[in-house]
Parts: sequence; C-alpha cells; structure tokens
Amino acid sequence: MTKKLMLCLIFLLLPFSISFGADDLEQRVKTLEDASTERQKTIEEQQKTIEELKKGAAQPEPPASGPSGLTGLFGGSALANPNISLIVNTFLYSSNIKGSGLPGRGIPGFTNIGIENGKGFNLDAAELFIFAPVDPYFNLYADIPVTESGAEVEEAYFVTASLPEGLQAKGGKFKSGFSRINSQHPHAWDFADTPLVYRAFIGGEGLTEKGAQLTYLPQFPFYAQLGVEVLQGENPVLFGPDAGSGPHAYGAFAKASFDLGDYSTVLFGPSAITGKTKTASIADDTWFAGSSTLYDFELTYKWKPTRDRSLTLQGEYMLRDQKGDLTDTVLNTVNTLKRSQDGAYLQGMYRFGRWGAGARYDILQIFKSEYVLSKADEGFGRRPWRATGDIEFSPTEFSRIRVQYNYDRSGRDGRTNNEVFLQFIMGIGAHAAHPF
Amino acid sequence: MKKLMILTALMLLSFTAEAFAGVNVVATLPFIGSLAKEIGGDRIEVATLLKPTQDPHYVEARPSMILAARNADILMYNGLDLEIGYLPLLIESSRNPRIQPGKPGNFDCSQYVSAIEKPTSVDRSMGDVHPLGNPHYLFSPGNVLRVAEGIAEGLSSVDPDNEAFYKANLVAFKERFRKKEAGWRGVRLKGARFIACHKIFEYLAAGFGFEIVGYVEPKPGIPPSAGYIEGLIESIKRTKPAAILCTANYGLNDARALAAKTGLKVVVLPQDVGAQAEAKDWFTFMDLAVSSLDKGR
Repeated sequence: MTKKLMLCLIFLLLPFSISFGADDLEQRVKTLEDASTERQKTIEEQQKTIEELKKGAAQPEPPASGPSGLTGLFGGSALANPNISLIVNTFLYSSNIKGSGLPGRGIPGFTNIGIENGKGFNLDAAELFIFAPVDPYFNLYADIPVTESGAEVEEAYFVTASLPEGLQAKGGKFKSGFSRINSQHPHAWDFADTPLVYRAFIGGEGLTEKGAQLTYLPQFPFYAQLGVEVLQGENPVLFGPDAGSGPHAYGAFAKASFDLGDYSTVLFGPSAITGKTKTASIADDTWFAGSSTLYDFELTYKWKPTRDRSLTLQGEYMLRDQKGDLTDTVLNTVNTLKRSQDGAYLQGMYRFGRWGAGARYDILQIFKSEYVLSKADEGFGRRPWRATGDIEFSPTEFSRIRVQYNYDRSGRDGRTNNEVFLQFIMGIGAHAAHPF
Repeated sequence: MKKLMILTALMLLSFTAEAFAGVNVVATLPFIGSLAKEIGGDRIEVATLLKPTQDPHYVEARPSMILAARNADILMYNGLDLEIGYLPLLIESSRNPRIQPGKPGNFDCSQYVSAIEKPTSVDRSMGDVHPLGNPHYLFSPGNVLRVAEGIAEGLSSVDPDNEAFYKANLVAFKERFRKKEAGWRGVRLKGARFIACHKIFEYLAAGFGFEIVGYVEPKPGIPPSAGYIEGLIESIKRTKPAAILCTANYGLNDARALAAKTGLKVVVLPQDVGAQAEAKDWFTFMDLAVSSLDKGR
C-alpha cells in the first residue's frame, strides 16, 4: 500500500523537477563559468605567493621545534605504530648419531630430554617482535615465535617507565632475570645452542614464565641492579605446571658492572631461583615431586677497542639442589630422591669486521654429583662434557651465517655426538636494541 | 663479618651523598657535551657517554651508561636515529622518569636541525641508510648554532632559576660563532672534489660548496669489494678528486689502500670534539676540519 503511494508521488513530482532543470540550465552554466574564473584567479594569486615564498626560502628554514618535529628516538616509522620486526632462525643440522636416536639422547642423571633438532633442515622459528610505549607510564613488549606447529606467546609483558627511586616493575610473561643467557633471545646468542648447564637444569628453552618482577638500580658509584621475581613456575624441567596451585617459584638476582678503562667492561653477579617441582623429565617412566633450588654465578668481560673489533669472555657456574619423591610408574614404587649437582661453561667470542670466531667448553658435575635414591648413591659414571667451536659471518647487523661444531660427550654412553650446525639468522623491521 | 658489612654499607652511602647540586647533563656525543658546557658553564655537570674515538653507529649500552642516565636531569642526544641502537634501551633501563620521551629532560638536539639527504623511500638493501636524514650535522655551523640556542632553552626548562645565566652564555657563544664563521667563509673550497669513506661530510660539502664525487663504501655501512674499488679507481681517473676524506676511526685503512692505488692524498678529518688534541671544543674542531680540507684541496 505505502509502496504504491510512494511510486505515485514520485511520478507526480518528476515532471516538476525536469521542467525546473530545463528552465534554469542556461543560468546554471553561467554561474559555473563565473565560479570557474574566480577559482582560476585564486589559483594564480596563490601561485604568485608560492613563488615569492620560494625566493625567500632559499636558505632552508629550521623546522618548527616542538612535538610536531619527528624525534626519531623510536625509529623513523610512523609515530603511532608499534615497532615490528621479524627474525627468522633456520639451520641445517648434522650428527653421527642416528636420527631416531637423538630424541632419546638425554644426559643420564640430569635429564631425559634429548636432542630436539632433526637431521637436515630445521626451522627454529619465524619470530615476531612487537614493542612500543603504551603511554608515559608503560612500555609493552611481545615476542611471538611462529613455528611449524603454530604461533605461541613466548613473551608478552609490560615494563614501567616512570617509577621513582630507580625502581622498575615488569609483569606478564617474560624471560626471567636469572643467570646471564636466560634473558637473551636465541638470535643474540654467540652459539646455535645453549650451554649444557642450561639444558641440564632448566631445559633448552630457558626460564620463560608468567609472573612479576621488581628491579632496583641503586645510586651507587658503580652499576648495580637488584631484582626479585615471583613466577608461576611452569618450566617443565625445574618446576612444572602441576607442582603447586598458583605461583610457586621465587627468584632473586644481583648484577654489578665496572668499566676497566675506556674499552673494557665486566659484568658479574649471583642469582638464585627456588620453587616446587613436579616433573617427568628426570628419567623415563618416572615422575618427581618435591622442591628445587638453582644457584648461578655469572661473569662477563667485554673488550671493544675499535668499531669493528671485540672480544667477549663469559662464564657461568650453576648448582642445583633437589629433594622429593621419585615415583617409578612401571614398578609403582616411590623412592626418596636427593640431588645436588653442578656444572659450568666458559666461552669466548672474538669479532673482527664482519667475522667472528668462538669457542666454548661445557662441563657438568665439577664439585657436586650427588644423586641419592632412597639413601643409596647412584653413580652415573663419566662426567658429561662438550667442546664447541664456531665461525660467524655477519654481512650486516641484520644477517648472520654461522657454522658450529660440537664435540659432545654428555650422553655418558662412551659415544661422541659430533654435531654440525649451518645456521642462518635474518631480521627485518625495527628491532629493539639488545642489552649489554 | 657483620662489622665489615656495616662498614661497606656506610661507604656506599657516603658515595651516594656526594651528588652534584647543579644540573646533571648526560650527552651522548662529545660535541653535544661540549656545547652544553659552553652554555651551562659551572651550573651543570656533563657526563658524555661516547668517546670521540668511538664510532657512533656501533655502540652498546654499557651498564655504566645506564648508571649515568639514571642520575641525569637532562639527556641530550643527536637524534635522527643515530643512537637507535642503544638509546631507547638506555632510557628504559635508566629507570629515570625525568628523561623519558615527552619529558623536558629528554632532549633531542635534531629538533632544531634542518637535516639534509632525507630519503623519500628506504629499505635495508640500500645499506645502513638513516631514514630521517643525514645525522652528522655536527659539521654544519648553521645547524649547530640552532642546537646551541635549543640547549639554552632546554637547560632553562629544567633549571629555570639560571635562565639568565644560560642566555648570557648563549650570547657569548653567538659572538664567538660570528667571528669564527667569518674566518671559515674565507676558506675557498668551492668546486673542490673529494672522495669520502662514508656519508659523514655531506654537511661540510653543502656548507662549503665542495663536491663528494665518490665513496669508498658502495653503500652506507657496507665494506667495498675488490670489483667496486676497481670501478671507483676508473671513475677517479675521470673526476680527478683532490683527496680521500676519512676519520681516524672510520675508513682510514680503506682510504690508505685506495690512496696507494691512485696516488691521491688522504685527509683525516676529526670525527668529533676531542678526537684530536687540537679539537678541544666545537669551534676548534671546526677549525681543524676546515683547515684540513683547505690543506688537502
């Protein structure tokens, strides 16, 4: 009904509008022409002004100061966008051990987690890094490695920017401040893999946990950073997600640094982390429930006399104490387990121009090799150790090619694992600066 | 043992007590620190993070720098992305609210600079191109004068009580600038041709009217290949430059190698204030740069 009415109305109105158009057409054209002439005049006048301004501006004027001037502190990209970078870490892996034997090749007495690299081509990850200030009070960081099995949130955390008195808080999921290498991203390592102490005590992935961290930079005459952490405790080697409800790991660390002259710097300090543990990574067909404490001492020396030459020497000592019950899932028996084990590594990296050469020596059970199962000391024999050498070529700071050889005697079966890596690390985009 | 600990704690406390009462200025580059000292005089204490012999492109945030930034009332930096590799980290790690972006204590000198060589598009296949323009404006008298004016403003904003003092020092600086500039204008470099190691001297070329006809680097930050050098030698035969320009810490070896092949002179220009003993402040630094160019012409 209404539709018909509307159609009628339109038909009624149509002739009016047409006749209106026909009557006024000539006048409208004239109006348009007038307007066009007017516009032309304006354009010519503006052109004149521009020419005059150009003459006057032979000397470039300083740009207006103030917030409109691009400061470039966080890169030349559009000011409101976060900084995004993608880092691809891919490598070719070779070993004399059969491919099927690698996943089962743990370090007996320490961990049953074997070597996760496949023989041949490997894609560690295409890792997406995003960061930007949130507002004047917080900076936000995220690290999203995309692997063949999908994307995961490796890190997502905020850092405060304006707490007073040298304090800084961090919250979310982040790499713990424990030890030296733990908070470094894999692309910043001097080698393709982490030292044996990391693999044995916290796993190759390191301590990346949900939690909160508070650090303090006191007003000392030398650099010192003190930090405490409360962590969820989900690390599968040291703690385990089922070990306790709520946060069940606590850490503390201290780092101090001195400059030795203009070109040398030392950084050192202890750290410790403790918490409840429930893990199946001690030995096959077992699970362990108890508590763990891991201590670390780190020491780094860097010498950088010129722009293209540097030497880094770095070492860490770790000691782990564990106490609890080890359940054998096959025999259905429960034994008390007390472990106190240590290890260390020492590594050096010399860089000259685009080239770098590194060496590393790893060893486990230096002073402590206690593994007491229901009051009986279990001996695992041979001391696990490994020697590593690598050569790097970095065409620019955004690309790196690395060849690495490991002489690995950590399997304790008398067999050597001769490993070779050919690694490619490439990064694009605006990446955050790496800490010292 | 306890006594020892208390003693150590007391010692540390006594160290922290001897803080400077004036304005704590932290400058990234030596010339910025030197300019700040000219304007700030004894009302400020200047800590300069980089040595004049250090390449400003490759700097690591040493913990001692973080400590310096922690105590800064104002952080003065070159800008134009020159410090991109360490400064954002330094500012965050300093835990110092006064120098965070947007605060008056976060002082980007390049906001007073009219930069040259702003690329219209940039990607990293072009080498280490600075997307905001050439950052080496310390060789540009006009820009440095404006930076000095800015520093007077910046110091006044964090220390309003001494505004008159900073202004008076700025007037003295400008006076000296006028005299020096007249001297530099007398040096005739117009039409001279040079080869350069890296894009460091573009502001000098623009200001003094000489021409840089080739670079030892094929692209910024990329070392030359043998083939590239051969091509450069061919082009040198045509363009007939007077000398190869470099600094003591950037490109000297490459320049010497090229000089041996072409018979050209090598002119070593100061990289920053303090790089050579004569370059005590920014004026004597420019004196040295200009006279070295004049001799090498």
